[in-house]
Amino acid sequence: MRSLEVYEVFKREREGGPMIHAGNLLAPDPELASHYAREFYGRRQESIRLWIVPRAAIRELDDPDLLQPPFDRSFKKPAGYSTEIKRKLAEARGRVDGRVEGEPEEVEAG
Amino acid sequence: MTAVMAEALDRGTREALAGLLLAMADDEFVLGFWDSEWTGIAPLLEEDVAQSSIAQDEIGHAQALYQLLAEVIGGDADRIAFGREPAAYRHARLLDHARTDWAFSIARRFLYDTADAARLDLLVACAWPPLAGVVAKMRREETYHLLHMHTWLERLASGGDDARGRLAAALERLWPDALTVLAPLPGEELLVAAGILAEPMAAAEQRWLASLRPIFTRLELPFPFIQLEGERLETTLAVPAEPRDGHDGSDSFRWLWGEFTMVYRSDPEAVW
Amino acid sequence: MNDRIQAFNQHVASGGKVEAGDWMPDAYREAVCRFVEMHANSELMGVLPEREWIMRAPTLKRKLALTAKVQDEVGHAQLLYRVAEDLGKPREAMIADLLAGRTKFHNVFHYPTRSWADVGVIAWLVDAAAIVAQQALRESSYAPYARTMKKICWEESVHIMHGRDVVLTLVNGTSAQRAMVQEALDRWWGPLMQMHGPRTDPTKDRDLAWRIKNKDNETLRQEFLNTYVPRVREIGLKLPDPALRQDPETGRWTYTEPDWRELYAVVTGHGPRSAERLAFRRVNWEQTQWVRDAILTSPKAA
Repeated sequence: MRSLEVYEVFKREREGGPMIHAGNLLAPDPELASHYAREFYGRRQESIRLWIVPRAAIRELDDPDLLQPPFDRSFKKPAGYSTEIKRKLAEARGRVDGRVEGEPEEVEAG
Repeated sequence: MTAVMAEALDRGTREALAGLLLAMADDEFVLGFWDSEWTGIAPLLEEDVAQSSIAQDEIGHAQALYQLLAEVIGGDADRIAFGREPAAYRHARLLDHARTDWAFSIARRFLYDTADAARLDLLVACAWPPLAGVVAKMRREETYHLLHMHTWLERLASGGDDARGRLAAALERLWPDALTVLAPLPGEELLVAAGILAEPMAAAEQRWLASLRPIFTRLELPFPFIQLEGERLETTLAVPAEPRDGHDGSDSFRWLWGEFTMVYRSDPEAVW
Repeated sequence: MNDRIQAFNQHVASGGKVEAGDWMPDAYREAVCRFVEMHANSELMGVLPEREWIMRAPTLKRKLALTAKVQDEVGHAQLLYRVAEDLGKPREAMIADLLAGRTKFHNVFHYPTRSWADVGVIAWLVDAAAIVAQQALRESSYAPYARTMKKICWEESVHIMHGRDVVLTLVNGTSAQRAMVQEALDRWWGPLMQMHGPRTDPTKDRDLAWRIKNKDNETLRQEFLNTYVPRVREIGLKLPDPALRQDPETGRWTYTEPDWRELYAVVTGHGPRSAERLAFRRVNWEQTQWVRDAILTSPKAA
């Protein structure tokens, strides 16, 4: 005899939204799993789409060596540039007489 | 067919329409009650939640239909629903039976939902717009009920000897009363003439039986019908002479009525 | 004490979270499981007192609302059992323990419901007392439980509104209806006051130390009284405790000490309806075993 399996349910709440994890449930097979997913995550009209996935099909990654590598990676993030850019911009403006009309106060991306 | 207004219908047609609405509303109302008995005690927690949704849908459908009926004959949906003696209810005899066990509930619901789908098909192009509107919504919600009931019929039929045996026994018991859902309604020829019903109930009943035959044959479940010339399906079963009357003679319905009218009857004029 | 356990204790004490797959001391795992299991059991048993009244709801709207509420409770039981299952205890084992009386459920679900007014009082005040505790649990160190509590709290807020609506309709109704709701309140006040449990010593409460829960029992009771006593009184209902009063300076409520022996007797299975409800559940579970066997025998759907 088989046993009840865990199925993970993902939902999209509104047009254009991402698939987010909603929860999980026990079911004897994929068909009943999708009926139950509808009950738990669709009966209040809170979703426009559901994904129902056997937990066994999900591969997990949680090794901090892979996901939180220790060396400096600020070159990959905006915060890694903003301080430097502020400093250099102040220097460049200082060399020019006054400010040119219409220049933004804050540093924008790019 | 051009749309009709209830006021424009002649008395006979209006009475027939009221009869149709009452029959459908009472069907959904009574079944919704029986099925809500599974709340908290269904075989699986997940299934409990599913059954409860289905029961709520039925009560919602009943509410919409009673409201339509109130438009036609006057009065108030709650009073119509709760304010009658058992003999005055017009649901199909199929729905007098108690919930019994899981196999019985699934079998009865399967028979009812599939028959109801055939009935709703007769109303898709209903010339009375309020009913056409309610029917359109009901059909959408019934999609889930039908899917779920088909799934359970299959699961029980192929779930081992015990499950199959219980399902078969339930169907044997239910088949005579199953034919009460689509039994001819008084005045239905007037409804057909007015464009409210596309065809008489008998046509829907034949289509319903024809759609069930391949499923029941494949699953080797009881199907007490033989095919005559012209593809008509007939039964040798004794169908109740009063398909929608005589509910005061049903112990199980009288018990149910006692429960669902208990608080209401303690003060019918009170607001709850 | 071993280093790993000490690091863990510090982690949760300072607000750190724990997920299902993380390493955790056995004692923490057991404590969370027990806590969640009792909560799940309560949601499941809580369905029974209200179930009868689904059949008796006097209008279509009330029938729909009550069915939906009870459905949510079954859903909550499912969510909570899943949390406990992922900690390692199979659902079958939890149901078996509940039905054999080896595990507990909250006191309020051991009492009878006698009238339609009970439905209103339970949905309003019992659910309100529960939600006071549940809101605090949204910060639980055990993250799967915390997330579940957020969903549950959101759904419960609708139940409380439904309950309040039922009670208001009754107090605005006939004198018989008003008397019905006062009578129900008189009966339920005792169990409500016991619901959050006796005052405990926070320094000795491991569930608090591990932040499985974040507020002690008395804090929860005070929060409940603070919000709901005024709401009950403002609609003309009386509370049956002559000693119930709020200190105008500290805001602290004093009250007749609840009967903690009654609470203990009830949660250990000696409440007025404990045996009957467990028996009802047991019979139903046994009678539906064939269904569970059947669906696990059936060929898998494509």
